[in-house]
Amino acid sequence: MRQRYALRVNGETRETEAEPHESLLDVLRENLRLTGSKKGCNEAECGSCTVLLNGRPVVSCLVLVPDAVGRDIVTIEALAGDGTPHPVQRQMVEQGGVQCGYCTPGMIMSAYALLQENPHPTDEEIRFAISGNICRCTGYGKIVKAVRAAAEEVGRAAS
Amino acid sequence: MATRKGLGIGSMYYGIGYGFSRADIGSAEIEMAEDGTTTVYSGACDMGQGVMTVVTQVAAEELGIEPDQIRVVAADTGSTPDAGPTSGSRATFVQGVAVQNAAQELRGQILDMASRMLECPKENLHVRRGEVCETGTDRPLVSVGKVAHQLHFHGRRAAAWGWHDNTTQDVDPETSQGDAYATYGWATQLAEVEVDTETGRIRLTKLVSATDAGKAINPVAVEGQIEGGATMGLGYALYEQHILENGVPRTASLAFYLVPTSMDVPDIECEIVEVPDPRGPFGAKGVAEPATIPTTPAILNAIYDAIGIRITETPITPERVFFAIQEARARGEFEED
Repeated sequence: MRQRYALRVNGETRETEAEPHESLLDVLRENLRLTGSKKGCNEAECGSCTVLLNGRPVVSCLVLVPDAVGRDIVTIEALAGDGTPHPVQRQMVEQGGVQCGYCTPGMIMSAYALLQENPHPTDEEIRFAISGNICRCTGYGKIVKAVRAAAEEVGRAAS
Repeated sequence: MATRKGLGIGSMYYGIGYGFSRADIGSAEIEMAEDGTTTVYSGACDMGQGVMTVVTQVAAEELGIEPDQIRVVAADTGSTPDAGPTSGSRATFVQGVAVQNAAQELRGQILDMASRMLECPKENLHVRRGEVCETGTDRPLVSVGKVAHQLHFHGRRAAAWGWHDNTTQDVDPETSQGDAYATYGWATQLAEVEVDTETGRIRLTKLVSATDAGKAINPVAVEGQIEGGATMGLGYALYEQHILENGVPRTASLAFYLVPTSMDVPDIECEIVEVPDPRGPFGAKGVAEPATIPTTPAILNAIYDAIGIRITETPITPERVFFAIQEARARGEFEED
């Protein structure tokens, strides 16, 4: 039975109607038209639907809508909300970390979550943080480079 | 834990384009607006290979304008001419030339009009950085935008169509001898592996790839193709196995069909070898599949170097290596530490 849910998405409260068994990913994409989060495998293997839930990266295809109520949801749309790309986004472009682009939003959310928690990660920590995000195009090297460059950029801005 | 290191090399050459007399054509349209901004209608579909970037750069270079003045409409059956699929490492090699041909004709139209406007022979003019310049001195005489405006104002063409046929001869049907492809790409890779002789686990610790790109139109994109190609090669060597049982796929999800993650891929060192190919746009040819092919032989050779055993089946799973070591031991052919 369809029910009303109030979700806190990117700092705003958004009201929507959904079945309780619907995934957060479907509600974000279909109801709220936040189509930045991608539906790749829909079974928590590819990571392209990654969003932050209370600051932690989760695969939104595996979160039921009722479980997202009362939590802070951050999607890729929030990162350039003011029109300026986040350093991770800019560096993904600069370093050639984007090819087909399908993994990119999830990849960026995992990297963004890492940098929130650990502003100076090693390459090994970057690789671990994005290991749930599958990329078939790049071979990951340029993505790791982009996250490292973004960390340096954020570090410079903070100091 | 007993680990042994090994080094191995894999080399290959690969036919670029479709070859064997199969239709292999590229085509594109190009149009310059009144202010000099240019639209390329290119049938080549970009699924991450970078052909849209290549098309933009080739058009910009040939026209003599900046890439940011170019917009690409790609792979739209309603508006772009057919350029065939983006496959066979052919998009840059074939479509690149079609775009270059279209841009060359458009450049001729610009120079014709500039020649009238400036009352100066066409031979003494060229286009550079968006300006029609005097040949020899590079002195800018009039902007491409102003010339385009005049073309439109006088109702003249500021549009062209480019075509390129890369279809080759077939080989001899009796002997299978002949030159099947228009050109070939070459690549060599060096793999460094660690083999755990107790568990059979293989770790690829370093990969160096030297790939013949003809000419790297966009070096970062070429590296991306090489690194991605080698990563697919590594998946083929170590992880990826499609299992069919009585026609039913048993590896129908990413939980069972394993593709490399960021933790599986080592540092890949890219060496772009540039030997310009006269048949490609500005000497360029395809790189993506060539980067995929030598990875598995390089890894297999590195394993042989490490443990003295030839593995002949992929993927090289820990089980296969473990049992290969057991069998070699049973035959007394395994050199113990």
